[in-house]
Amino acid sequence: MTDQEQAPDDLATDARAVSITINGTCSQHHVQPRTHLVDFLREGLGLKGSHLGCEHGVCGACTVQLDGQVVRGCLVLAVQADGRSVNTIEGLSDSGAIRELQQAFVRHNALQCGFCTSGMLMAAHELLEKNPDANREQVREWISGNYCRCTGYQAIVDAICDVLASRKTAQREGAAA
Amino acid sequence: MKAPPFSYARPRRLADVLSLLEKHGDEARLLAGGQTLLATLNMRLSEPSLLIDMQSVQELKGLSVTSNGLRIGAMVTHSEIESSGLVAQHAPLLGLAAPHIAHRAIRNLGTFGGSIAYGDPAAEWPACLLALDGMVIARSLQGERRIAALDFFTGLYTTELAANELIVACEIPVATPSQRFAFHELARRHGDYAVVGLAASAQWNDGELDQVRLAWIGVGNMPLRSSATEQILQGQCLSDALLAQALQTLRSELHAEADLTHSAAAKQHLAGVMLKRALNTLGRPRQLAENSNIV
Amino acid sequence: MELQGSVTIPAAPQQVWQALNDPEILRLCIPGCEEVRQISPQEMHARVLLKLGPVRANFVGKVLLTDVRPLLGCTLNFEGSGGSAGFARGSSVITLNAIAEDTRLDYTAQASVAGKLGQIGGRLMDASARQMADRFFAAFKAQIAGAATGERPIAVAESAGAEATTAAPTHFPVVARAASAAQSSQGESWLDKEKPRLLWFVAGVAATTIGVWMGAHWLR
Repeated sequence: MTDQEQAPDDLATDARAVSITINGTCSQHHVQPRTHLVDFLREGLGLKGSHLGCEHGVCGACTVQLDGQVVRGCLVLAVQADGRSVNTIEGLSDSGAIRELQQAFVRHNALQCGFCTSGMLMAAHELLEKNPDANREQVREWISGNYCRCTGYQAIVDAICDVLASRKTAQREGAAA
Repeated sequence: MKAPPFSYARPRRLADVLSLLEKHGDEARLLAGGQTLLATLNMRLSEPSLLIDMQSVQELKGLSVTSNGLRIGAMVTHSEIESSGLVAQHAPLLGLAAPHIAHRAIRNLGTFGGSIAYGDPAAEWPACLLALDGMVIARSLQGERRIAALDFFTGLYTTELAANELIVACEIPVATPSQRFAFHELARRHGDYAVVGLAASAQWNDGELDQVRLAWIGVGNMPLRSSATEQILQGQCLSDALLAQALQTLRSELHAEADLTHSAAAKQHLAGVMLKRALNTLGRPRQLAENSNIV
Repeated sequence: MELQGSVTIPAAPQQVWQALNDPEILRLCIPGCEEVRQISPQEMHARVLLKLGPVRANFVGKVLLTDVRPLLGCTLNFEGSGGSAGFARGSSVITLNAIAEDTRLDYTAQASVAGKLGQIGGRLMDASARQMADRFFAAFKAQIAGAATGERPIAVAESAGAEATTAAPTHFPVVARAASAAQSSQGESWLDKEKPRLLWFVAGVAATTIGVWMGAHWLR
């Protein structure tokens, strides 16, 4: 992790040098302390897959991964991510990590305008990792931090449960084989 | 909205954090998990000149068992507590409470120390610290001091912490074999601020309750214990009569204030419901918690 | 948000009334208050830094006195803007009652906060208003107690000569003149705790009589 060199003036608000691993690639940037992670990703790097809804942490549209865990991109400063790794929906999609989820979302019509979708997928992805035995109630609780204005949520829950179920089936078949 | 401009420091040493804090006073804000602070800045409800990020200070991290009990570093996140085997074994009440805190993304960054320092009456950790007779360890350039949870929360968003002090860690006495815990919270939606909640602990000696601690969430302007009701339960066996007595005492002791969604009367009633549920939980022959594997 | 309360102040209504109308005392007692300026007899402007948990919001506001009943009470109408933080407005009715040598001050207040502070802080509105009121009256009582024992050079004594802070004399001229006469005698005899109280009582009776007469004729 790089050291934050103390500027001669403690209170200088200008841009700092940061080194962040984004979707697997480490790169250097200059960013003002006030800039939060999602603004940096969208405006600084053109990664527009993460969206801004409320900018105070309640809607979940800005959900990204920091060091492998989902976080609110609007409640992390880009400078806080110095020396750490960030994964966005673009990275997870390109790597194929969320392919099952994406296909299930399409199958179940779990998106309309798509604004909440990247956040939903990020959250669902962590659920699959952390609690592969989640039941419907637990899925609902897990994604209750991501707001959707279009679908009414049922289709999203259906899609996630679908993936959970098929993974368990695959696991059983794998074990039986 | 976007946060106003500010400066940023990420010292490695605790002494440097304290120096900056002392030097800049209220113009500087400590950045722990940032889940409350950054939301406040984004809404421009505060415009500090400097944020002091504590993420690189090793001394503030880690969960361990010491001679004083379970030590929770101030920078330990809610998720770390949620999934910790040490917590499950030595302070299972925290494991019961953790899933109620906001949502996963918030829990991955929000910290134990941050929650205790704000002392929000609707937060889970302050009430848990009260119910477990925890200790706050505060440090300033002048030195370290230990503050009992019972003395720590003094008013609305007001704690014993001095302006130049920060929380280094909290210590919680490890659970004894005869100790039982209950955590119940009511919120309109999962992750919302609690309408009413109760963190409870008690020793269970052959059906007799001992050292009952009832710490309330969302009832007053700060986390608080209902000591008169605790006294009623002290040394008693659970029964319908005892419950009725406890509920009556609670009604006269707790002065719930109305909030945006519930009247004072509704909160008083719901507090009684929480007490009933908690006593039911304490009375179960075997403590079965979702996240714990108690011996 | 609605609030009501009652506080007993160990001083005569005259002293309490004076202090309530003194911008300097208000500045010292209002939590986070940075400045209070008297604009006219009925209007004061204030700047307050609201500190609550993570919030630090500067509010600039004005207080208008209406329904003024000297020594008995008044209504305060206030409104303040916190910039992007929000907007607050409300009113408070204050009544004074002499109880033996003390004054019981009853207050009711209602306020609404719009904007972000109202949205985010809504659930804590009542509790924070109550805390501010408690802190205000604790400081207010300390100010008045300090004046009675002469320990603290508070505004009432200081403002005899100062220009900006002599709020009491300027807007209730007759009442205040009677009061300031009592003030100077009170300043000299602070050694004997009982004498000032008696003098205050006499001054209070005199001032009330004059004030009521004045009010009936002039201050309508």
